[in-house]
Amino acid sequence: MNSYKNWLSFFLATLALAAQSVLAHDPVFGLGSHTLFKGGVELHLGTHMDPSGVSSLSPEFSVKYGITSNWAVGASLSYDHKSGTQKASSLFSKYRFWRVDSFKEQESAALFTKIILKGERADHVSQRTGNDYLLGLSYGYEGRKWYRWAAIRHRLNSDTNSGLKRPGVWLVDLVGGIRFVPTGYHEPDWVWMLELNGEKTERINRPSGIRIGGQQWFLSPGLMWTHRNFAVKSGIQVSLFDDFHQDQNPDNYRLKVELEWHL
Amino acid sequence: MKKSTYLAILSLVSFFSLAEPRYYELRVDGLACPYCAYGIEKKLKSLQGMDRNTINIKLNEGLVIFVADTEAAITEPELKGLIDDAGFTLKQYKVQAYYEK
Repeated sequence: MNSYKNWLSFFLATLALAAQSVLAHDPVFGLGSHTLFKGGVELHLGTHMDPSGVSSLSPEFSVKYGITSNWAVGASLSYDHKSGTQKASSLFSKYRFWRVDSFKEQESAALFTKIILKGERADHVSQRTGNDYLLGLSYGYEGRKWYRWAAIRHRLNSDTNSGLKRPGVWLVDLVGGIRFVPTGYHEPDWVWMLELNGEKTERINRPSGIRIGGQQWFLSPGLMWTHRNFAVKSGIQVSLFDDFHQDQNPDNYRLKVELEWHL
Repeated sequence: MKKSTYLAILSLVSFFSLAEPRYYELRVDGLACPYCAYGIEKKLKSLQGMDRNTINIKLNEGLVIFVADTEAAITEPELKGLIDDAGFTLKQYKVQAYYEK
C-alpha cells in the first residue's frame, strides 16, 4: 500500500514528460514542423517509460520561446526518478524555413538542432567526454481533418570517459493523424495519430566481446487533446521488429505522456 | 451583461469620444488547429482598444472577427504583421463602422 501511495504521489507530483521538443500539433514520438508564435512561451512537462533502461521512468521539464513565428528555442532538464538526481540538460532550436498557408491548411518544413549537454548521469552509463548532438529535418501537413508528418533525425554521441565509442543513431518517422470532428476554437480538440518510428543504431563490437547496435521499428498509436492553450499528448510505441544481438535488451514497448501550456 | 447591451453602451460612450468601434473581419490562411490559433488570440489582445469579449476565431470558416474601439482604424499592414507573428497569413481584410454592422 505504501509503495503504491509513493508511486502515485510521485506521478502526481511530477507528471513530467520526456520531451522530444514537441511543439503544438506534432507527433508524440516523432519530430514535427511546428514552432511557436512570436513572443510565446511554452511550458512542457512530461515523462516517458522505456522498460529496458536502468531508470525506466524519466520525467523532464522544458521551456520554449518563440523568437519569431518561424523560430523557437528552448532548454530542458530530465531527472532520474529513482535517485532524484538530474540526468541531462539540453538546449534546442527549431527553425521553420518553409511554410505554405492556404484555406484551412498549413504545410511546413523545419530544421531541428539539439545539444545534449555533458553532465552527470544517474544511471549505469559512464560519463561522456563531451556533448551529444541531434540534428533533424521534418515536414508536416495540417488540415481541419487530416495530418501527416515525415522526419529524419541523426544523433551524434560523444565517447565515454573510459574511451568507449557510443554509437550514433538514425531515426525516421512517418505519421498520419485524423481529427474526426472539426470542433470550434473554444471546444476541446482531439487528434488521433499513428506513427511508424524506425531507429538504426550504429553497430559496434566492444573489446569485451559484447556487440551493440541494430535497427528497431515501432508502430505507435497516440492522441493529442487540446483546449485553447493547453495540450495533453500521450502514446505507446509497440515494437514491430528488431535485429539487435542477444547481448542487448531492446524495448518491447515505450510509453509517453506530456502536458503543454502556451503562455 | 449581454454582448449586445455591452456594445450599445460602448457605442454610446464612443459617440462622445474620438474613438469609434469598428468591426473587423479577417480571412486567415493556415488556420487548421485551435491550439495553434491561440497565438492569434494572444496577439489581438495586445492591441490598444481591442474589445477582448468580441474576439471570435472561426476555424471552420478561416475567419477571425473582432471589434476594436480606436481613433483610427487598425490598418491592414498592421494586422498582416500581427497575423504573421502568430504564424499564419492574412488573406483578406474587411473593416466597417460597428453601427453599419
